[in-house]
Amino acid sequence: MEEKRIMPDKSELLLGCAPITERPGMDRAMRVAINQVRHSKKAATFGHQQAFDKALAKLVRNIPVDEQLAEWFVKENLVPVVRRGWKKIVRNPVMIAIGIALLVIGGVTAYRVYEKLHDFPGADKARRLLSVAASNRSVLLDPLQTDAGALSDLFFMKHHLEHYDVPTEFAQFKTLGSRVFDDDEVRRVAQIWVKEKRMQFFLFPAEPDKEGKINDFSDWRFVELEGWTGAVTQRNGVCFMAVIRGGEKDLRAYLEKKNA
Amino acid sequence: MAVTTKNLPQLYRFCFLMTGDAAKAQTAFQDTVRDAATRTDADEPPPDRLWFFREARERCIAVTEEGIQAEPGLLEEAEISPDAAAQIATLTPEQLAVWISAAPEPQRSAMALFYLDEFTLPELLSLLDMKAGELSDLVCSGRRQFQSWLDSTTAYYGGEAHHAG
Repeated sequence: MEEKRIMPDKSELLLGCAPITERPGMDRAMRVAINQVRHSKKAATFGHQQAFDKALAKLVRNIPVDEQLAEWFVKENLVPVVRRGWKKIVRNPVMIAIGIALLVIGGVTAYRVYEKLHDFPGADKARRLLSVAASNRSVLLDPLQTDAGALSDLFFMKHHLEHYDVPTEFAQFKTLGSRVFDDDEVRRVAQIWVKEKRMQFFLFPAEPDKEGKINDFSDWRFVELEGWTGAVTQRNGVCFMAVIRGGEKDLRAYLEKKNA
Repeated sequence: MAVTTKNLPQLYRFCFLMTGDAAKAQTAFQDTVRDAATRTDADEPPPDRLWFFREARERCIAVTEEGIQAEPGLLEEAEISPDAAAQIATLTPEQLAVWISAAPEPQRSAMALFYLDEFTLPELLSLLDMKAGELSDLVCSGRRQFQSWLDSTTAYYGGEAHHAG
């Protein structure tokens, strides 16, 4: 009678080609199969197989190598170690990603340094007020419909704020409202909301330089923060900042219009 | 693992097991290494150490094609003996190489690569381009056939092995 062949399971298949020398990093399924068989009834059979394999592997290691041929093995330059060239390293996606990240970080850092070097005293205060502009709503201000230039008297009479003057470039703009508030860092701030492009004006005390002097400037200097731009000028120790949601060119249009 | 000349002795042993003949093994080995050196000079070095064994396998198959080819399934099989290790210890590497080189493909390559004790299972499967089940079948039947051959050529009495013939 012909012997019935039983289909071997996966662990049996793996054990058929179990490694002769067990090295670290062995496949988990293989490791499990070996551990299981060593604690089963088939342990002795598997032991015989391993002894058989080790004996054969030992015989293979004893295959003599001809002296003439052995010379090939000592010529290290015959088959040099494959080193990864710089071109291959540069083309590696990981290296490309790291390179791009470093470029971006470098670019941002350079921009920040450039910005700091060209900052005027009070630029930090101006940026802080840009965030105030971004988060405010016009309903927070006291409604007031007049020319922006007319508010200088109001600030002086009502709040004793001297030289809180709106420059001529923006003096004719119609206001929606205004308020005066105290800020921890900027101190007394006057805020005006105008109809034109929903612009906001800020007037605040100028920042002294490192030597403690306040140096006014009549030109316009720009600060930006998260899509908001402010044009700042400083007269009589008071900074005026016109703020708009947009870029520098949106504000320059108003400044050039006046100059023309 | 880097491809260095330190891997070459194993490559030669593989060629020897595949051909069963030192001269043929030397030819296959040298041609493979020369090819690798040429590629390295041309700035296209072999990608990994497996490349050497794939190339050498093809050369060994080609160099032995002219001889008598073994047919699968003609050899008798026997269960692995507890005394197999002692029986094998009486053999010479040349006898083993002759036996393996006489096996049909792909069993010959499977046995030669497996008993080099050089590769992991995934590497073996990649080199032989087969599944674990196929490799297992080839190695298992190879073991039993080798045991049968051992039994017919050697005898073991009380811890001492003797050649039968």
